[in-house]
Amino acid sequence: MTNVSPGRGRRWSDLLHLPTLLVLLAVGLVWEALSRRYGAYILPSPVSVLAGIGGILRSGDLWRHTGASLYRILIGFGSALTLALFMGFLTSLWRPARTVVHDVVTILNSTSVFVWIVVSLIWFGLTDLAPMFTTFMITLPVLAANIVEGVENVDRRLLEMGQVYRLSGPERFRAIIIPSTLPYLVAGMKVGFGLALKVSVVAEIFGVTSGIGYIMNYSREILATQMVFVWALVMIGIMLVTDKLIFEGISRRVMRWQYSLKSSRWARPT
Amino acid sequence: MAVQLEVFKVGKTYLIPVLDGVSFEVGEGEFVCLLGPNGCGKTTLLRIISGLEVPTVGHVRLDGQEVRPGAQNHVGMVFQEDRLLPWMSLEDNVALVLNPLGLEGVERQAAARRYLRFVGLQGFEEYYPLKVSGGMRQRAAIARALAVEPGLLLMDEPFASLDAQNRRIMQEEVKRIWAETGKTILFVTHSIEEAVAIGTSLIMFTARPARVRERIANNGKHDSREVIERLNSMIMEEVLRQP
Repeated sequence: MTNVSPGRGRRWSDLLHLPTLLVLLAVGLVWEALSRRYGAYILPSPVSVLAGIGGILRSGDLWRHTGASLYRILIGFGSALTLALFMGFLTSLWRPARTVVHDVVTILNSTSVFVWIVVSLIWFGLTDLAPMFTTFMITLPVLAANIVEGVENVDRRLLEMGQVYRLSGPERFRAIIIPSTLPYLVAGMKVGFGLALKVSVVAEIFGVTSGIGYIMNYSREILATQMVFVWALVMIGIMLVTDKLIFEGISRRVMRWQYSLKSSRWARPT
Repeated sequence: MAVQLEVFKVGKTYLIPVLDGVSFEVGEGEFVCLLGPNGCGKTTLLRIISGLEVPTVGHVRLDGQEVRPGAQNHVGMVFQEDRLLPWMSLEDNVALVLNPLGLEGVERQAAARRYLRFVGLQGFEEYYPLKVSGGMRQRAAIARALAVEPGLLLMDEPFASLDAQNRRIMQEEVKRIWAETGKTILFVTHSIEEAVAIGTSLIMFTARPARVRERIANNGKHDSREVIERLNSMIMEEVLRQP
């Protein structure tokens, strides 16, 4: 990780993962062959899936359903993040809170997604709130566990240094605790967001009339199997884009002190 | 010479007694090296003097004021590890500890640069700690300790993790800093050669629980070879006495 020099020595062929592309091509060929053997209802052909992508791009369905899903994820995930940050803050001030958070996280982690889906349907009915709440409950333990672990792993020797030099509480928090915890936070957000995307679409099967989960289930009902595949690809696309563009960017920014030589306060992050 | 630091019958017990009635005084401008067998409690003593820990019995007075955790002790400390914040440039690391002194942002940065230059780190102000050598990191740690303009500079085996060549260079550097600033320095080391090379006064501790065994003036009037041999045989005695 330390030897990565972003921006340099990266050729297009490396970026495109050429061998992966070759494997994908082979998979595509096998897929086409199987599709011809079993029929489009069981396995739609790759061409029809590509056409489907073109279709939702043109009709605007892509943005409508992706937007609806992302909106619910952002609310659910965002609330979970806010609460998890608060829990992290609490544990940094008051050690016994760690045990409580640990136990709560263990309990939440052992709870099935389906429990939250059913419970949220009972509580919120067929509304937007159901997938939001499900996302919230599933991502909360992941985020909280990571943040609290980060707070726990703050180097005690650095805190001691802060004590010797009489840094105030807020200064210690800003200069020592937050920067130590940030990498854990970003890692937690990355995993948490992936989970949020996967979980919220399941929750969208019930009750709502927009979103990727809804449209996938709807496509299945009207026997448009190729659209199920199209939306699956859309989900993969969202995952890749958020992972590669957003979270990798954030994590590189946060860990800048490992990659770059100098702190450049005015320059753009590398 | 005014007494700056008074360590009076300081005892510290964790599960076993670590310090047992340690008493000594350090005058203003002295360069005192604390010596003793490994694990005898030198670091514990330094932590008590810096206010990180409270003695079980006895007390420490700095400039007449009793040292207590949270009190306004005015010490600079160089740890065995640099303890720089890796996510801050060297300059920001030094400037950070000037915050509690109530300096303005611009003054802080200027002071930080001044002290970095003083320890020979001009041109490296914006570097991240992980991108400079161990010796340079320790220099930055010294700059940080000096920047708070402490009455007393505490150094806890600051060069233990450096290679022999860098250690020699840094020893000379500390001597220069001491000569130029006139700071009182309390320097813990396990190397007799290092202590004799830099200290004006050497305090030898007994094996745990530590007591002051002997204090030797190292003012150049004694042959350093002789002093080293004496200290060496003392250390051997203490190590053999250890249960």
